[in-house]
Amino acid sequence: MNTIRLHNLLFFGCIFLLIHGITRSATSAPLKDSLLGVSPEGGFASSLSLSCPFCRIFSLLCVNVCIVYPKWCVQKVRLKTGCGADEIYYKGFSSSSAIKCKDGSKKFNKSQLNDDFCDCPDGSDEPGTSACPNGKFYCKNTGHAPVILYSSRVNDGICGKHALLLTLLFEMMATIVLRAFQTFVVQRSCAFERGLLLLAYCCDGSDEYDGKTKCVNTCWEAGRVAREKLKKKIATYQEGVTIRRQEIEQAKLGIAKEEGELLKLKDQEKILKELVEKLKERKEQIEKAEEKERLQKEKEEKERKEAEEPKENEIKAEVSESMQNDNIGTVDQPHRRVFNNYGRKLNLGLQDSAEDHHESANEPELSDHSVEDRLPNDGVEVNEGPVQKTEQLGEESTFDDKTGLDTGNQDDNIAEDTESLSREELGRRVASRWTGEKTEQHEEFDASIDKDHQNPDETPNETNDEENNGYVSEYDDHKYDDDDSEDQVDDFGGRIIMIQVLLKHPSLMMSQTYITGTSGSSLLEKIQKTVKSIFQAVNLFQTPVNITEAAHVRKEYDESSAKLSKIQSRISSLRQKLKQDFGPEKEFYSFYGQCFESKQNKYVYKVCPFKEASQVEGYSTTRLGSWEKFEDSYRFMQFLNGDKCWNGPDRSIKVKLRCGLKNELTDVDEPSRCEYLALLSTPALCLDSRLKVAFQATLF
Amino acid sequence: MANFLSTFLFFLLFINCAFSWKKDEFRNCNQTPFCKRARSRKPGACSLVAIDVSISNGDLVAKLIPKEKNQENTENGENPIKPLVLTISAYQDGILRLKIDEDQNLSPRKKRFEVPDVIVPDFVNKKLWLQRLKEEENEEGIFSVVYLSDGYEGVIRRDPFEVFVRESGQNGKKVLSLNSNGLFDFEQLRDKKEENEEWEERFRSHTDTRPYGPQSISFDVSFYDADFVYGIPEHATSLALKPTRGPGVEDSEPYRLFNLDVFEYIHDSPFGLYGSIPFMISHGKSRGSSGFFWLNAAEMQIDVMGPGWNNESVLMLPSDQKRVDTLWMSEAGVVDAFFFIGPGPKDVVRQYTSVTGKSALPQLFATAYHQCRWNYRDEEDVYNVDSKFDEHDIPYDVLWLDIEHTDGKKYFTWDRMLFPNPEEMQNKLAAKGRRMVTIVDPHIKRDESYYIHKEASEKGYYVKDATGKDFDGWCWPGSSSYLDMVNPEIRSWWAEKFSCKNYVGSTPSLYIWNDMNEPSVFNGPEVTMPRDALHYGDVEHRELHNAYGYYFHMATADGLVKRGDGKDRPFVLSRAFFPGSQRYGAVWTGDNSAEWDHLRVSVPMILTLGLTGISFSGADVGGFFGNPDTELLVRWYQLGAYYPFFRAHAHHDTKRREPWLFGERNTELMKEAIHVRYMLLPYFYTLFREANASGIPVARPLWMEFPADEKTFSNDEAFMVGNNLLVQGIFTERAKHVSVYLPGEQPWYDMKTGTAYEGGATHKLTVLEDSIPAFQRAGTIIPRKDRFRRSSTQMENDPYTLVIALNSSMAAEGELYVDDGKSFEFQQGAFIHRRFTFSNGKLTSSNMGTATGANNKFASECIVERIILLGLSPAPKNALVEPVNQKVDIEWGPLLLRGGKGKSVLTIRKPNVRIADDWTIKLL
Repeated sequence: MNTIRLHNLLFFGCIFLLIHGITRSATSAPLKDSLLGVSPEGGFASSLSLSCPFCRIFSLLCVNVCIVYPKWCVQKVRLKTGCGADEIYYKGFSSSSAIKCKDGSKKFNKSQLNDDFCDCPDGSDEPGTSACPNGKFYCKNTGHAPVILYSSRVNDGICGKHALLLTLLFEMMATIVLRAFQTFVVQRSCAFERGLLLLAYCCDGSDEYDGKTKCVNTCWEAGRVAREKLKKKIATYQEGVTIRRQEIEQAKLGIAKEEGELLKLKDQEKILKELVEKLKERKEQIEKAEEKERLQKEKEEKERKEAEEPKENEIKAEVSESMQNDNIGTVDQPHRRVFNNYGRKLNLGLQDSAEDHHESANEPELSDHSVEDRLPNDGVEVNEGPVQKTEQLGEESTFDDKTGLDTGNQDDNIAEDTESLSREELGRRVASRWTGEKTEQHEEFDASIDKDHQNPDETPNETNDEENNGYVSEYDDHKYDDDDSEDQVDDFGGRIIMIQVLLKHPSLMMSQTYITGTSGSSLLEKIQKTVKSIFQAVNLFQTPVNITEAAHVRKEYDESSAKLSKIQSRISSLRQKLKQDFGPEKEFYSFYGQCFESKQNKYVYKVCPFKEASQVEGYSTTRLGSWEKFEDSYRFMQFLNGDKCWNGPDRSIKVKLRCGLKNELTDVDEPSRCEYLALLSTPALCLDSRLKVAFQATLF
Repeated sequence: MANFLSTFLFFLLFINCAFSWKKDEFRNCNQTPFCKRARSRKPGACSLVAIDVSISNGDLVAKLIPKEKNQENTENGENPIKPLVLTISAYQDGILRLKIDEDQNLSPRKKRFEVPDVIVPDFVNKKLWLQRLKEEENEEGIFSVVYLSDGYEGVIRRDPFEVFVRESGQNGKKVLSLNSNGLFDFEQLRDKKEENEEWEERFRSHTDTRPYGPQSISFDVSFYDADFVYGIPEHATSLALKPTRGPGVEDSEPYRLFNLDVFEYIHDSPFGLYGSIPFMISHGKSRGSSGFFWLNAAEMQIDVMGPGWNNESVLMLPSDQKRVDTLWMSEAGVVDAFFFIGPGPKDVVRQYTSVTGKSALPQLFATAYHQCRWNYRDEEDVYNVDSKFDEHDIPYDVLWLDIEHTDGKKYFTWDRMLFPNPEEMQNKLAAKGRRMVTIVDPHIKRDESYYIHKEASEKGYYVKDATGKDFDGWCWPGSSSYLDMVNPEIRSWWAEKFSCKNYVGSTPSLYIWNDMNEPSVFNGPEVTMPRDALHYGDVEHRELHNAYGYYFHMATADGLVKRGDGKDRPFVLSRAFFPGSQRYGAVWTGDNSAEWDHLRVSVPMILTLGLTGISFSGADVGGFFGNPDTELLVRWYQLGAYYPFFRAHAHHDTKRREPWLFGERNTELMKEAIHVRYMLLPYFYTLFREANASGIPVARPLWMEFPADEKTFSNDEAFMVGNNLLVQGIFTERAKHVSVYLPGEQPWYDMKTGTAYEGGATHKLTVLEDSIPAFQRAGTIIPRKDRFRRSSTQMENDPYTLVIALNSSMAAEGELYVDDGKSFEFQQGAFIHRRFTFSNGKLTSSNMGTATGANNKFASECIVERIILLGLSPAPKNALVEPVNQKVDIEWGPLLLRGGKGKSVLTIRKPNVRIADDWTIKLL
């Protein structure tokens, strides 16, 4: 550990010294030389005869490194492994009178070098002028970082000082410097020059040498700012690397634990399955016996029902009529309630998916009803007919409503409908063709207000969770996968039964046992015990059907199958989780189940890795996409197939990852319509690999 | 399978209906009473005869009355047909002007509208004072003849009345005639009668009160010795106008001239688009060109008759002369028509622009590349796009901001959330020699807190509705009113709004874009203003509709001139246009689509605009609606680089399409296309000056340069940039080969490779990915600037390259025009205008400037660094530059420093002569 620290220190020290450039004098070299990049500087650098910028960086760095590691320098640097190509290329002038253009297309002589006339289409005869459109100009930028400019910048009358580029430049520089070392080790090419070409400017003003424009040398100041930035960045990286390492450790532990849990759960599942089978058998026996008794009762029931039939039909008719009239006042209370909910659900389903959150917010209530429906309750049984009926009707009527509202988007209809439109409405609609905005915005807004009025007691998911205290901690952790994999309404119904079971049997609360996995055997024992006791009890009383006994068996069956389904759901969620791509070092493990938010003006952007991304405005949520994958070597997260854009593609978002000390979502942008771009700072991206490799490669 | 196919076709049909042109929303001829009436009239229906023909005040005057006067009178009861007054005037350069109006001495109900401010004041001074009337008589009737120009006469036949221009002499060939088919009709203003059904007009939910009843005018015009007619923009259709009536023409609408904001227009239709120029030019092999212009701003419909359209008619015109007949119908106004005798295509355009004005000379930056999108969202976006251009070393000159930059679509304001520091933003771009353009539309948000609205409503500056209240229509900001730009006072008030003081957040490097000025009214009839809305001087909107956008454009351009204290040439892009718009700025072809067909039709659209005086025009590169596939986008850049106005633009629903977003190779291709434009800027600017001086457009149909070559007459896939360069578009996906017709007898040199191709032949060429075919004509010299910069601004001092393409007699010539690129000083002679002539192995640069010669008002140190000689053999080794008497090398070099692929070409290396000087370079 200590050696690494020392190396780090040395390495950053080198960079620091390098970018200060303090070992070199700041006096500018004669024009032609500097343009050429063959700067006859004395001392160490010149003895290396390095001509390309990389070599400069390298030589400067070496000087610094040598202070600490003189032995190494002598050995390694003497190899003269720099960017030989350029050096040798221009050196050719001393020995011969004509030289070939780099691309071999032509020859030129010494007087044609930088004579402000382009002889080589590749620009190799004019490295210091603007004559060749493909030319490159080398700018020393003493006190800052050297850059290579497009020839279009030479003597264009613009001094290079654009605060805008500064930050970008230095983001790049840090990487470039580091890469340069790699390059050196890998092999002596000047590939990074290409990188340097971008986003660069000449702060020393040497690109404006024709005297028409006087540029101030701003390198020292610009360099200082950049160095500050770089220092900060290095600090961030150092700290980030540590955090990242910790996270990876945790991820490994977490994954191991979950894998263990999964194995155990599979065992439990097997046992429980058997138990449930047996209970089911027993239950069916009991039910068979009950069947006889019930058949008799039913006969009587049937007669009674037949007598009531006409009455019921009336009600049905009433319901359907009132539905069409959008007036439910005449229906009696229980009908109306159920009815209302179905209607709302359907409405929501048909609504623009931007309103999705309403749907989910409605879930608790809806599931309440589905639970009710399942209970052996006569009243609900009777209701079933009308409910289905209204479902259909509701669908029709809401559909009608919707098409009525929607005509603004259906261009064909504009033609027919304009006659009946108000002038204002017509204006909006025609405008909407170009803008793609919905014309009935205000109407929709009203509608959503209405909805809120209708359901003042609607509660978001979280509140509901809190009500089921004991269950929450665990449920919360896994709600995403649950939501993903199963039909929501059914799932919810099932869950509530489970909740009931669990509340009654706190000893069976599984969260701790599952997670720790230590008490797994005791749990199994417990279950087996329970099973034994049940069968014992049941066996004692064979026939006739004892009501308390039957209830007991039923209850046990319900509870056990609930347990089973709980375990199964946990298994599937674990499987779901473990099959995700958490990165090469599992560094993204902690992203699972997390959401990152960023508020931008009126919108809140929510990015939930491995799940989805959305844009929330007040009460409306727009899905920006579902999790797709990491891209570009884990530097982007891609979410695809979000809500449809009017006249555009399905929404999608790309989240760029960069090194930061904590997970933080920033800079959400929509460069193209409905294609979003966001930035997420995260320690997961604070890769030490580059630093390390470079560092080690340099020193050893 | 068939089932599947039909389902697919049905689907296509559905898509077409749902996502394109809303045909039903616009009137067709049958729904337009005046058009329906005029179209159903039979040849010879006109019964008017000319009486009292005489010379008065230098004009020929006459009265038009119905032949059977008594009968007509009784039929019309209390509304007797009053005689019409006809005036014929002659102007220099072969222009005959014909006016027909109600007789003002008989106190008509109202003075009919004549469009002011279009005819340039200078034109009036060119009037010839007619003195003598020559009478002729033959079996066809009595003729009165006046002098028009050497070799041409203006003639009026009395009965039935007909006006024509002919070559001098009793048997002189006719050139142009009016009412030869007897379709003339003129509805005079009337008082409303009770229960008159045709009084009001309804279209969809809109009612037009028509307080003066029907008042249309229609007549036929014949072009003699014409093979084709061209002009009358704006339509998305072929260059040579297809017949709309006659045998073989199925149920076509006439060409409509009615400025409309058409959503997703289709690429081949006679339907009217954003602008209107009622000027038609004919061309034929045997005689050449003639032109007809009707100065009228009301809705116009024009039929082009196919041969044999009137076969059943008893009225037979002499058939020895080939002829194209046309029918012109207008809803209101007067007859104020101009006959142009040509005889060359350039003559007609020169004659037409002597009436309506020559193109303004744009600033140099405006002729370079423009980057636009609806919308660059905020300052960060602007900076980012700007720096990306630098990063990829792609030049651009102007970055545009669409409507979203404003605070609630209130023009002259900024959304301060998105653009907190607009001045700083503009200044940062200006530091790199780049400009910005913001949009300013004519609809003013009805918002009491908006200063423009407040002032305009207080001062009564809005157009009024039929009841006299401020007209209130719907556009981007919602409820809006429209400034009445016909009133000079309002224009001048408007112009003040552009001063840097008044336009908060603007800087001198900001220029303007006028959109929606047809005017577009989302809830109006046909998405425009009701025809019975009222303008300054009680002019009904129907009378001046087509000129509304023109006035708005004018007022805005005046505003920029005022802002710059008369020292800075304005740049204003307008969507709507009218004759004369060329004096105020550029126009573009509106909201096109990202389709190959739209790329194709952009060529005839731009050529037509050029023919009708509007030289500075272009189509949105990439196509406004929809996402172009990459190949289409690249091809569009390659073609767009030769548009006079070169701007990329995109709808906000489309994906980003800045040139670097399509992979390295495509970035390179688009960059190369843009570089071609920058390289040719000196040539383009010289052409813009030519348009400014003579009216001859920058982009020209081939037949304008080769009027005798029939093969060029209907070619609208290739065009000339000036007279030196021929460009052929590539309009199909994955094209492998293209047939290019190269006219004339001289060879053509491929611009990329220098390869020579024989003239007067069609060549089947391999299509390359990296460029579209472009050829330099032998016998020409093109000035280039081969160094690339971030914008045109930095190219100012860069040296020139001259490319000399020698013809068969080893000669060539060309021009170069240079000035400061921004001020009006050039009007005082502050420019350099050189003629380069190459003959007898000697290149000479001579002054083309004003006769004063001593042109010291504009100086340039620029030199010629390279001279390329194409078609020269044998190759000389040296050249002598005189008068400095210096020898320079001639060697083999590349034709293009970037992207050139061909063999080496002869290059005079570093002659370094100043473009401002006289010199010669002699090959040794």
